[in-house]
Amino acid sequence: MKKLGILFLLFTSALFSQENFTISGTVKDAKNGETAFGASVYLEEATIGSMSNEYGFYSITAPKGVYTLIISYIGYEDIRKEIVLDKDQKINIDLLEAATQLDEVVVESSSASDKLNIRTPQMSVATVKISTIKQIPVAFGEVDIIKSIQLLPGVTNGGEGSAGFNVRGGAVDQNLVLLDEAIIYNTSHLLGFFSVFNADAIKDMTLYKGNIPAKYGGRVSAVLDVRQKDGNSKNLNLTGGIGSISSRIAIESPIVKDKGSFLIAGRGSYAHLFLKLADKDDSASFYDLNLKTNYTLNDKNKMFVSGYFGRDNFNFGGAFESSYGNASANVRWNHVFSDKLFSNASVIYSNYDYDLELNLFEFDWVSSIKNYNAKYDFNYYASNTFKLDFGVSAIYYHFDPGKINPTTETSAINYLELDQKLAFESGIYINAEHKLTDNLTTSYGLRFSSFWRLGGQPITNYKNNQPVVYNEALGIYQAGIPTGDTEHPKGESIESFNNLEPRVGLSYQLNSNSSVKVGYSRTAQYIHLLSNTASVTPLDVWTPSGPYIKPQLSNQYAVGYFKNILDKAYSLEVESYYKTANNRIDYIDGSNLIGNNNIETEILNGESRAYGLELLIKKNKGKLTGWFAYTLSKTEQQTLGGSAGGPGINNGNWYNSAHDRTHDLSITGNYQLNKKWSFGANFIYQTGRPVTYPNGQYQYEGISIASYSDRNSERLTAYHRLDLMSTFIPKKNEGRRWQSEWKFGIYNLYNRKNAAAISFGQNKETGSNEATRTAIFGIIPSITYNFKF
Amino acid sequence: MKYLYKYIVIFALINLYACTDVIDVEVPEAPPRLVIEASLDWEKGTTGNEQSIKLSLSTPYFDSEDIVSANGALVTVTNTTVNESFTFTDQGNGNYTTTLFIPRLNNEYTLEVQYNNESYIAHETLTSIVPLDAIYQSTEKGFDTEALEVNLDFTDPPNIENFYLFNFKKQGDLLPDLFNFSDDFVDGNEISVFYEKLEDEKINQVEFEPGDVVEIYFYGISKQYFNFMQLLISQSIPSGPFSTTPAALRGNCTNPTNPNNYAFGYFRVTEVVVDSYTFQ
Repeated sequence: MKKLGILFLLFTSALFSQENFTISGTVKDAKNGETAFGASVYLEEATIGSMSNEYGFYSITAPKGVYTLIISYIGYEDIRKEIVLDKDQKINIDLLEAATQLDEVVVESSSASDKLNIRTPQMSVATVKISTIKQIPVAFGEVDIIKSIQLLPGVTNGGEGSAGFNVRGGAVDQNLVLLDEAIIYNTSHLLGFFSVFNADAIKDMTLYKGNIPAKYGGRVSAVLDVRQKDGNSKNLNLTGGIGSISSRIAIESPIVKDKGSFLIAGRGSYAHLFLKLADKDDSASFYDLNLKTNYTLNDKNKMFVSGYFGRDNFNFGGAFESSYGNASANVRWNHVFSDKLFSNASVIYSNYDYDLELNLFEFDWVSSIKNYNAKYDFNYYASNTFKLDFGVSAIYYHFDPGKINPTTETSAINYLELDQKLAFESGIYINAEHKLTDNLTTSYGLRFSSFWRLGGQPITNYKNNQPVVYNEALGIYQAGIPTGDTEHPKGESIESFNNLEPRVGLSYQLNSNSSVKVGYSRTAQYIHLLSNTASVTPLDVWTPSGPYIKPQLSNQYAVGYFKNILDKAYSLEVESYYKTANNRIDYIDGSNLIGNNNIETEILNGESRAYGLELLIKKNKGKLTGWFAYTLSKTEQQTLGGSAGGPGINNGNWYNSAHDRTHDLSITGNYQLNKKWSFGANFIYQTGRPVTYPNGQYQYEGISIASYSDRNSERLTAYHRLDLMSTFIPKKNEGRRWQSEWKFGIYNLYNRKNAAAISFGQNKETGSNEATRTAIFGIIPSITYNFKF
Repeated sequence: MKYLYKYIVIFALINLYACTDVIDVEVPEAPPRLVIEASLDWEKGTTGNEQSIKLSLSTPYFDSEDIVSANGALVTVTNTTVNESFTFTDQGNGNYTTTLFIPRLNNEYTLEVQYNNESYIAHETLTSIVPLDAIYQSTEKGFDTEALEVNLDFTDPPNIENFYLFNFKKQGDLLPDLFNFSDDFVDGNEISVFYEKLEDEKINQVEFEPGDVVEIYFYGISKQYFNFMQLLISQSIPSGPFSTTPAALRGNCTNPTNPNNYAFGYFRVTEVVVDSYTFQ
């Protein structure tokens, strides 16, 4: 109640309008009725601006007067409108897509929005438009959001065949990935070769690499907020494509024109994919389904329902089968309380599960994580210098780490069910964006998060309260000695945590083209992905914080310089960050995470630190557009013995995190030759992944055994490749409804064998030791046919 | 078994997409370390009096030279339960032998090695093994339902933790295949374990054929040794990007006066079923 009081106080103190009036409304695409997120709404004479929110809503308050209202949005024509501001008014805006003039300069981004980008205290953020992502060459021509964000500075991943992505030295599980607000626990299809996002169903995506707004919580590293299209509210629309891996189709249509619409999008890979090369009965495939519908009840109320369902299936000669995927559903209600107060309430369900049938061993293994989430978020546009975001969120988690079922009468396997784990996470936040002077804008906010590990399961107690003990004589960590279980009935809180998470940003505008920004954010993470392999796998299991696993806490400091050059034809962004995380778990040597009811006996709590310098130069205008991104960084971990005793992992010394990359460079370009042809290229260079190499060998039990040096002290060879793509739009498209295009791509043009891993072992024939490189994708040509109707 | 399942899945997946090749890599070089391969294995149904311990030194990883044996050591094993001592005689080739060993189930044994003015010590308990109920061949089991495999059936004693080690070697092969197993998911049940070879051109491996002989060693092992072998085996199976970070293998041969100068290898005392199978 006390917190609410403070919230209310802040709220009312901001109300100081006298002769001011407010314009509010919704910004939409004129052609399909999609709302525009991040459109700039600007009163020229007053130099007062605002941005449309996720639902296209904007509100702008200014003193009485006559103004030119400018609305601009990347890829759309600017709208200029004379207005007489003598009363509060509602102005809905329809944007027209910028026409691509034949052989003329293509204007990619518009001036006003860049200006505002410089001014807003939000930093370390990247928004990539779906249309840009579609121009980037990718393996098999499969448009991929996750792969395209890796072309930005500060974002990497383990290479092909590794799921997820790493942001500023953060681990994969430290990213909050949202699809229409629903948590996506696994972002990959086929072990990371493709992402779960079907670009035809996506409207926009925003990646927060740092300075995470207070409205987001639960992960310490980054937020990837992906939003689905609402569906065309003007006309029936069909989009689709046939590629070398999958086919796609999306149907959008109004339900009641300009009032409601829906979108259904499906994507399916061809079964047996490219496995024909391999064995006879093996297959691997994936599909996903996106759904969205919205209905505008009246001026003040709008409802949305959206859903996602995706699945991967593997079958290996009948010996075993595996299937896994995400499912989510979301109901949202937008309510406009007044021309200054916008709200959204959401009820969200997410689930990730996998099923593994080992017919060979006559058992089946299932595991899942699901959550129910309710949120209520508000945007309060108090004045032209003060904006408040505030809200609450509650998440109820159900972890099912695994059940093992014998599948036959004769199976030797005993039924086993690991303890179900329950938890509740809540968050309450308030954030102000406050323009102090013409040049100085600040953003300050606070998130208060709480986490309860709930009863309904026993918790094992250990001798001396040590789930892991250091065996002094042998120099190894091993499981502690259990002394019994404490039963915790359902509804009881086993352990709870509270954290205050301040988020602060500041932007100082040096002149009309450049600014300096600083940011600080503190973030807490209460659930952890258990993964002791170099790359995360779909079979890894999430676990909540509790008596033995503490929440991860991270502090990130960032400073940046932002500049628009040559009338915004180019832009320059330089950022530097320093980030620490506490309670980052790492695994004792030889840890066993599978089917383990007592994970606490396999882990030690450590910490991580990361720092780096990021450079991004963009060319926004002209026939040639693109960017150059470079990151210089370092990410390390230290895991001391702590209560378990002993020196810790790697003798207690700092070691490189698996996702440490010293250099990371990418160049992405797109050249619009003419109306028919455009060409895209990207080049990527990355320092190799840290690995542990053998430093000796000896004979034992008839085989050669490798002895290993310090953890992650060596590196794989550098990763680099060049990809090309060209898009051909046939001339016959002109003047007809059926629009088509061809995309021709070549991935990894010079067929570099980038090492995904180097394994050491003994040649079975000669007995001598050898190093074996695993390379995933060589050169891959692709053709995709896309259509729109 | 549970340890295996993840490897199998990931391994198979990666194999579908990946291509592998052997490359030259420069690796760091650590100074040599003493390796103690003290495997006192008591074959079921024998007296077990003849035992041998091997001492050698570790070498650089890509060194193709023969094993460097460690000679001139003093090697003793003591049964601390009944207090009897066995001295192993230096054969001058890294082997230290005795013909007087007396194996006693569940008794505690201590190994002491004096080498190069350093002393190493290890403790282990003689762990028993259940008999094999049956050995037979089939094709329908295993990964490939057309390939031959040999199956071993045995019955796990209920309500106690049991740990097993298998060593399979086809006659004529250079290297054995090791497989560790715990009764975690299968306590008290009749268990069947298969050994099958899949065709693999890369390593010139062919399926079993009639006439092939497989030597089988089936050990009862301690939990500590199981953990050691678990890490040893998983690190010797290359599993590409989904492998765990390799770690130092620490056995039970410690150096009390100079802990960092511990010895590689292990002192194990087991009961073992030795058998062989000829494919029909």
